[in-house]
Amino acid sequence: MEKILCVDDDLSLLRLYQEELTEEGYKVILARDGKEAMAKFEKEHPDLVIMDIRMPVMDGIETLTAMLGKNRQIPVILNTAYPQYRENFMTWGAEAYIIKSSDLTELKQTIRKVLDKRKKSKKS
Amino acid sequence: MAEKILSMVLAGGKGERLYPLTQDRAKPAVPFGGVYRIIDFTLSNCLNSGIRRINLLTQYKSLSLNRHIMQGWNIFNPELDEFINLIPAQQRVGEDWYLGTADAIYQNIYVLQMDRPDLVLILSGDHIYKMNYMEMIAYHKKNKADLTVAVIEMDKSLSRHLGVLEVDEEFRVIGFEEKPAVPKTIPGQPDLILANMGVYVFNTEVLVRRVIEDAKNPDSQHDFGRNVIPAMIHQDRVYAYSFRDENKKVAKYWRDIGTIDAYYEASMDLISVDPQFNIYDQEWPIRTFHPPTPPAKTVFYEEHPGGRIGGVYSSLICHGCIISGGKVFRSILSPWVRVHSYAEVRDSILMEGVEVGRYARLNRVIVDKRVKIPEGYQIGFDLKEDARKFTVTESGIVVIPKGTLLA
Repeated sequence: MEKILCVDDDLSLLRLYQEELTEEGYKVILARDGKEAMAKFEKEHPDLVIMDIRMPVMDGIETLTAMLGKNRQIPVILNTAYPQYRENFMTWGAEAYIIKSSDLTELKQTIRKVLDKRKKSKKS
Repeated sequence: MAEKILSMVLAGGKGERLYPLTQDRAKPAVPFGGVYRIIDFTLSNCLNSGIRRINLLTQYKSLSLNRHIMQGWNIFNPELDEFINLIPAQQRVGEDWYLGTADAIYQNIYVLQMDRPDLVLILSGDHIYKMNYMEMIAYHKKNKADLTVAVIEMDKSLSRHLGVLEVDEEFRVIGFEEKPAVPKTIPGQPDLILANMGVYVFNTEVLVRRVIEDAKNPDSQHDFGRNVIPAMIHQDRVYAYSFRDENKKVAKYWRDIGTIDAYYEASMDLISVDPQFNIYDQEWPIRTFHPPTPPAKTVFYEEHPGGRIGGVYSSLICHGCIISGGKVFRSILSPWVRVHSYAEVRDSILMEGVEVGRYARLNRVIVDKRVKIPEGYQIGFDLKEDARKFTVTESGIVVIPKGTLLA
């Protein structure tokens, strides 16, 4: 089962991700800030990370850098309400950049696309 | 408005083949030409080109380099947005040191994000040459290139030591091979190749994208020459810029001083009648750290037979030296060298603070900083004997490293 780490400081949103992505057949792990995310990242070795940018304790950009430092191939989907971070070079290491929405269709499609791409490149 | 240019100088080279000169210092900090360090030539190129926004990326054995930069290059005016920053490998991105030239940029993307330049000029702190980078940047803009690589024409027999570019008639790069045995030659010039000088002008956004892609590629060695450029030529506008030398000689001069023998040869060129590399051109000053030091001086001229004469012939001799009753032929003396009575120094390179005792004799020796050659000591006459204690190169140059105690 593919493992997804969801990182967001909004607990209700995390619950929504957990519900919907579990239904899609993923194992879902939750973290509420970057620091907690790093601890779970190193313990659980997720296949993919979905992460907010503006968070307390350790923000999504710093966490992304730290995750890539541990595993340069880890696909991270940045999921934020703010389009302006797209310009920031530090977000370019992410696999995708999605504007937050209560409709998770785009997020789910992106997750599938990224994971399928990973599978393919691993096979070849 | 003119575009914003940021220079990133890769100054972390270990210079393993220059050992023991790199025993205590990174390659860019190796002294050259009496008063200079290797890094001074690249930084002088920046200064003479009007590029005064410089980040120096350091890692191995950087103390000596840091000190030199602080002492000699602390000349930029922050009020005019000029700077030279020393950036050590900080492990912001993982726990690795720089894995290659492209990785050094990847690990410093945050620097590019903070500065947001239009163009990034990537340079190596290891090379000796004179180049006006602004001409290359104008060429880059004219071609609307994503990347421009500076190249120098070389004889094709040297291809095994170089990165070789293949270009079309417009000098657009269509191939790139690292150290090929059978190289692609210049169109219309079957004996010449275009060699990579390690000087790159990148559009910043393309640079960031390509080094991130490279970083994620587990098969890459994370090197611009080996990996990033070959991957770019199929998708980006990559041009070669034919190096225009500011040295004003017939042959273009560019040296990657990789070995002790190459170091010795390039150094000795400076004292020849008509050196290939001109350090006396006032239109292209080479800057370095010049502490307040007294003039060089020779002592003793005793005209009676067997009398002492302090003399220097066909040599480069720096400030603060005292040649007191000894003789120096075809040698390079850094500041504060002492040569005592009846000593003889031939075809040698003596670095700062070296002292040659009475009756000592040196022949084809590189003596690193502050080593004291004892009275009557001889080096460079019996290479077998010398090789038991010191590094002796293929061509017979003996190297006495820093901190050596002789008795």
